[in-house]
Amino acid sequence: MSTPGLDTGGALDPPEQPEAELPRSYLRLCLLLMLAEGPSHGYELLEQVRRLGLRGAEPGGLYRSLRAMEREELVTSCWQMSQAGPPRRTYLLNEAGHLALRVSVGSLREMQRLLATLLDRYDDLVGQVGPTSRP
Amino acid sequence: MEAERRAPKSEALRALYWRSEILQLLYWLRGEGLGDLVDPPLLERFLGVDAATGLRYLERLTDDGYLDRDGDWFVLSAHGLQQGTLEFAATFSELNRPVRGDCSADCWCHVSGEEAAACAAGRGETTTDEHAGT
Repeated sequence: MSTPGLDTGGALDPPEQPEAELPRSYLRLCLLLMLAEGPSHGYELLEQVRRLGLRGAEPGGLYRSLRAMEREELVTSCWQMSQAGPPRRTYLLNEAGHLALRVSVGSLREMQRLLATLLDRYDDLVGQVGPTSRP
Repeated sequence: MEAERRAPKSEALRALYWRSEILQLLYWLRGEGLGDLVDPPLLERFLGVDAATGLRYLERLTDDGYLDRDGDWFVLSAHGLQQGTLEFAATFSELNRPVRGDCSADCWCHVSGEEAAACAAGRGETTTDEHAGT
């Protein structure tokens, strides 16, 4: 069954493997969350960020984000001495960082609500147009 | 580049700023096990300073004895490592200060130098001008 007058021209056909377009601030949000869970080091943060969907995250971008968050006083860092190897920089979230996380999560929840509305309408539309695989 | 705009405007302070940024980056890379060597493109990726400017600062640090050069690559010298130890101590002491976030927003230590000193004494720490200024 198709909707009269609605020529989808194949535009509703989903790509095989859709790539999620994450917001530019996603890395920062990940870092705020991970540091809210506890102090951490650069390499551990990088691995966790990759597990949260930023598979292409690289150390340079992580370093710049952490430095920017330090300048904005969201994050504090110190060098942690080690018997086994060179000192490592430990990052901690401070009060302003926790507040920034709460604000960002509130914004995300609103975005989630809007996206859910949009997706429901899309699903309704696809249901009218005819059977197709859901992206 | 944004990093260049953020750096101090006077050449002398600018040199100090980039010295600190580059040395910190080298210590960070070592600590994370990501290697000991940097080159101008790496500085561009990590610090946002364009490669030509980065090279100038790397050469300056080499002239000042903080780095050793091996072709296009630069590595911390013994003097640079020693300088790093001093910077670690300075950074560590930052955490011992009562700074924003350590006390609640309504703590009197944010009001005056005297209150900051009293607060720090109560915490068994010493106060600083920075804290007194908040």
